[in-house]
Amino acid sequence: MKKHPTVAIYSGVSASTTFIERLIKGLVEADAHIYIFGADSGKPIQHKNIHYFVHGKKWHKLYVLLKYSMLLFLFKSKEKKALDVIINEKYTNKLLWQLKFYPVLYHQPDVFHVQWAKGLEDWIWVQNFGMKLVLSLRGAHINYSPIADPELAAMYQKNFPKVDAFHAVSNAIAIEATNYGAPLERIKVVKSGLSGKDYPFELKKVAPKGTLNILSVGRNHWIKNYSLALDVMFVLKSKNIDFHYSIIGMDDNEGLFFQREQLQLQENVSFIKTLPFNEVQIAMKRADILLLPSLKEGIANVVLESMMLGTLVISSDCGGMSEVVKTSQTGYLVPIRNVEAMAGVIEEVTTLSLETYQTMILNARTFIEQQHSMEAMITEMLDLYHKITVDNL
Amino acid sequence: MKIGLVLPSGPGYTETFFRSKIEGLQKSGHQVILFCTNNPENFNDCPVYLLPERSPSKIKQVFRMWLEYLKLLPHFKTIKHYIALEREDGTTWSRIFKRIYNNAPMFKYELDWLHFGFGTLVMDCQNVAAASKTKMAVSFRGFDIGVYPIKHPHCYQKLWDKVSKIHVISDDIAQLVHDQGFKGQVPLVKITPAINTSYFLAPEQKTESDLVRIVTVGRLHWKKGLDYTLQALSILKKEGILFEYTIIGAGFEEEALKFAVYQLGLKDQVIFKGKLDPKDVKKELLKSHIYVQYSVQEGFCNAVLEAQAMGLLCIVSDAEGLAENILDGQTGWVVPKRQPDLLASKIKDTIGLSKTKKQQIRDAAIIRVQQQFNIEKQQLEFIEFYKENKTI
Repeated sequence: MKKHPTVAIYSGVSASTTFIERLIKGLVEADAHIYIFGADSGKPIQHKNIHYFVHGKKWHKLYVLLKYSMLLFLFKSKEKKALDVIINEKYTNKLLWQLKFYPVLYHQPDVFHVQWAKGLEDWIWVQNFGMKLVLSLRGAHINYSPIADPELAAMYQKNFPKVDAFHAVSNAIAIEATNYGAPLERIKVVKSGLSGKDYPFELKKVAPKGTLNILSVGRNHWIKNYSLALDVMFVLKSKNIDFHYSIIGMDDNEGLFFQREQLQLQENVSFIKTLPFNEVQIAMKRADILLLPSLKEGIANVVLESMMLGTLVISSDCGGMSEVVKTSQTGYLVPIRNVEAMAGVIEEVTTLSLETYQTMILNARTFIEQQHSMEAMITEMLDLYHKITVDNL
Repeated sequence: MKIGLVLPSGPGYTETFFRSKIEGLQKSGHQVILFCTNNPENFNDCPVYLLPERSPSKIKQVFRMWLEYLKLLPHFKTIKHYIALEREDGTTWSRIFKRIYNNAPMFKYELDWLHFGFGTLVMDCQNVAAASKTKMAVSFRGFDIGVYPIKHPHCYQKLWDKVSKIHVISDDIAQLVHDQGFKGQVPLVKITPAINTSYFLAPEQKTESDLVRIVTVGRLHWKKGLDYTLQALSILKKEGILFEYTIIGAGFEEEALKFAVYQLGLKDQVIFKGKLDPKDVKKELLKSHIYVQYSVQEGFCNAVLEAQAMGLLCIVSDAEGLAENILDGQTGWVVPKRQPDLLASKIKDTIGLSKTKKQQIRDAAIIRVQQQFNIEKQQLEFIEFYKENKTI
């Protein structure tokens, strides 16, 4: 079997988001050795190929710092001096950065894969020590933060050309990154993968009639555009459509609470706190429609999950969503920021025959199985790592 | 008369409402003292007493509390009365002691009136005035009665039987007070905001140009409905109308709004000026033709009064006090909230009006603001307000 390069998956903390955890799990099961650096927030994956080099709080930080200072002094003294020069030039709180950087320098993975672009500048130095630098292009960090923050955009412009390879979750986000100097030929689109066994499909036996159960799942953030979703619900109510709309992951937004009250939607709209994965799955299966009103997304995982589970998706045409949601085939796509269009499509769904509804959700499941398999994601990620370490892409 | 005013912080340079109110009361011979948590701009037009801070260190906090309790010993009778009132309300002992600490300065002065500048400030202080045998007044201005009770239902239920007089800034706010369970137990007095009409003066002749300059002044906050305004402007752009839109203000929504500008293709039309001082706000108003305030929630809005006084054509939403601030079709236009297409069409109609019609609206707005929303009138109304059981 071909030996895989060692890869550090860096998100700043040891227990990361679901999709990063999924990637790590797939890689170690494919026999790659994965290093995790950063703050200890738990060790959710236990596997012989995963190696946690993390720091805890207070005394443990001191222990880790002393340990790696000593190891570097004894075995990589030249490299340590070179890194110290970089730290001294750039940072005032030197101990903090020594704590972050020393373990990486000592273990020196073949690939250092940064998950969140905003932290990129701190890791450019790894290239000086023979490590290849990979950056994931994900959501907020590419899609909107640099638009409102010119300093961040300038940092991207300065550093993106230096990155050895990029991992993009959709074609749309790959194009977006080129606006900040990411060379297109170094970007590889590797779509998020899902494992079929984690998402048991259920073919709905009843077409969406009666009280329409509409669901959104996502964090409490303006990019999700729940305000528009409430305006849509107001239109539905004024058309006497019987529905209930729930948002899971949003139970503390003053503006949305006010809007629900002002539009007199208290009986029709529920805000639900963040729920564990299995409970979200149950809610998704019960829903007639999974609604994604977002202003921008890479490819929303919640949509992929919903398509796997057999719930019809209505999504705004933002970011990479058109790469998975095909109107009247695998769901419905509506223009962004368009209340009337979204309300119109929801109304249309209430008129669908059971056969049409079932065909669409079956198409959606097949599409995700074919285009977003876990196996394909892992193979392609390993291919990306191999290319930059062996073939020198 | 000795009046204690409770505010979150000492009035800043731009907060003319409280500054002029204090000035007016002092001129008419009343003594005003201010209680607040901080005083960043060192307001010193009247004595200012800072409410005690909480220390992050538990030991320090316990020490501070005991020190404060010792200082309250000369006011033992008041504190005893306060504790009895809180116990009647079912307040726990630990909460009572916290409240005594938090409100300590208010127990120390003999006042005729204790006036809470916003409804939310009275939440933990409802018995302070009664304990000190002082009359209590509470002002409601918008957020405190329109938004706060949504997440805190019935939060004012006990207040209505304890307060001596209520001040609201618009008829809509008065309605919201009633919606929250007020049944007319005490006088409710409307005193609208006011502006310095000799400072915000319209130019002799308002110049017209092909490029229509539109402006909004306000925090970048969800209340202000700026996302709807931007959507309306994107409609205007698609229709080929030449305009420039300036937003004056800063706030949490900056990232979302800048993204909206980018996504709606308005980068060449929209300018974010950030927070400006009144002198620069005035300069921007002078340059502009139309003022838009398409809020989803708004107590009254001084910025709309200033814009009218400066001769701008004002288009506002029908959120609470705005529909009272502007008389629809007479001193500006009122558009139903959350409907960007209606706002776009109103802006378009306004641009298309004849010069004479525009001037007629401007003149009516200027006269109304000068006559009804001037500081002198407001000061007199507040002097009347504190006259016992006398309504205006």
